[in-house]
Amino acid sequence: MDALIAVLLIVLLLAVLGSGLWIGLSLLGVAVFAMEVFSNRPVGDSMMLTIWGSTSSWTLTALPLFLWMGEILFRTKLSEDMFKGLAPWIERLPGRLLHVNVIGCAIFAAVSGSSAATCATIGKITLPELKRRGYPDAMAVGTLSGAGTLGLLIPPSIIMIVYGVAANVSIAKLFIAGVLPGILLALLFMGYIVVWALRHPDQVPPADARTTLVQKLHASRHLIPVLALIALVLGAIYSGLATATEAAALGVAGSLLLALIERSLNWQRFVEGLQSATRVYCMIGLILAGAAFLTLAMGFIGLPRHLAEFIGSLGLSPFALMLMLVLFFIVLGCFLDGISMVVLTMAVLLPTVEKAGFDLIWFGIFIVLVVEMAQITPPVGFNLFVLQGLTKRDITWIARVSLPLFWLMLAYVLVIYFVPGIVTWLPAQMQG
Amino acid sequence: MRTLLDWSYKLLALLACVALLAAFAAVGLTIVARETGWDLQGLDAYAGYAIAAALFLALPGTFKRGEHIRVTLLLDHLRPPLRKLFEWWSLGAGFALALFMAVYAVRLVWISYDTHDVSQAMDATPLWIPQLAMALGCAVFALALLDAMVTRARGGSFFDSVGEAARAE
Repeated sequence: MDALIAVLLIVLLLAVLGSGLWIGLSLLGVAVFAMEVFSNRPVGDSMMLTIWGSTSSWTLTALPLFLWMGEILFRTKLSEDMFKGLAPWIERLPGRLLHVNVIGCAIFAAVSGSSAATCATIGKITLPELKRRGYPDAMAVGTLSGAGTLGLLIPPSIIMIVYGVAANVSIAKLFIAGVLPGILLALLFMGYIVVWALRHPDQVPPADARTTLVQKLHASRHLIPVLALIALVLGAIYSGLATATEAAALGVAGSLLLALIERSLNWQRFVEGLQSATRVYCMIGLILAGAAFLTLAMGFIGLPRHLAEFIGSLGLSPFALMLMLVLFFIVLGCFLDGISMVVLTMAVLLPTVEKAGFDLIWFGIFIVLVVEMAQITPPVGFNLFVLQGLTKRDITWIARVSLPLFWLMLAYVLVIYFVPGIVTWLPAQMQG
Repeated sequence: MRTLLDWSYKLLALLACVALLAAFAAVGLTIVARETGWDLQGLDAYAGYAIAAALFLALPGTFKRGEHIRVTLLLDHLRPPLRKLFEWWSLGAGFALALFMAVYAVRLVWISYDTHDVSQAMDATPLWIPQLAMALGCAVFALALLDAMVTRARGGSFFDSVGEAARAE
């Protein structure tokens, strides 16, 4: 009987989501249905109390603030500065300026919480520059699409906040846990560019004029503002001086200051950034509100507990379970966005994950990585949409040139499974 | 009527922006207060109220701009008559749920007021005050869905042109 209810609810949820009803309302609707039918609690009142409790929290305040910070920086000349500052250093590496995609994304990811924003900000400057110099489109777009996903993994990260709130894990710890895996993944992408460049030397355009060390250092002054901002936000979190929410406010203040100094801040841009941040937050918030009530409803029915017992009774090894989850997320990622994937998983699978003995910080990074992979798989992948907007190319072409990076990320998931220290070492060193 | 409705969505969106600014100010003040040893308590609760207000007040405006996400994968592959049916289903079910939320959000304000429910945190704010913003946002959100249905029935198009891809993730 319980199994039947579980299957019925999951099928209903997928059907309602697929029918085109707005995602937040779909989650809410299924939760209302489940509670009306399978419990005798007063549905409306507990719904509104849950929604109020989950949307008026100090911890969640980090989310809109980091969104706003990203919107401010998106409207500055930060990406141009980064290109100027980085280009002279990497001309000598095999693959030359293609590395700007990866390093640029990795640096911007450290001040931005989203991969689509990272992709858009870096791409709007690197794609035209790389094209003008004659780099092959497939490599320029493919590496950008892969590297853009670093926006989720390298803190701050919107999806980690969503996960941290849902799984009740310290967001500061999650952020710090993402640093090392993010840097390693960036190095992996750069390694891929190097290997490609060595195999196709004829396709790499010549370097710009040689620069002296002094010129290089002089060009690097453009990197100072962004590096200062990263030091401010991550330093505050790592040292234990500030919570994630406070670091977000510091980040907003720092970004406003940066935009003022480089004179790209005027009243109109300020208002546009604020409005855009509010709307994106509203979009995410409706999903979070629906998910909060769905989690409550599922808990009343006991579905997550039963599912955990059922999966536990299968006697799967943790490795097999992880592989199944990867597969499940990749399929789910074909039609759902990352945030919805995370909140749905948490509503249904949290007890299963705990029972299997996964560390919740480690699992957070794992889920972020898998969501990243889903970002670059069609038909639904926000990075693909962004790149489609930037390049005007067909989405299947973009997905095809991103595919090598998808395989790299899949291999990387295995690496963090077998070497979990990559994730757990740094947060263990944190103060407080 | 049309201008009045559009105006109310825009007004609420503006208030939502003000609420986000207020959240920023509250968090900023928390930091300042702690660093200077200024005894200022309950600000963390205010930050929470402010982002709740930002979220709910922005609902109708965000909806009008078509920025709430939905799964369109199946919808895009349906033939026009069937597709039309599903669009009506989304609007209808969406309206029913938004109305349900609005009714209970208003009821929550009333319960909080009636039972003198006070925040458990240091601020001890009577909860009906911050909840008022949530109720207002939900009510106008329901109105916006009704508006979308009526506009659709008259053959007009409710949503503003589709915005840029959400830079959410």
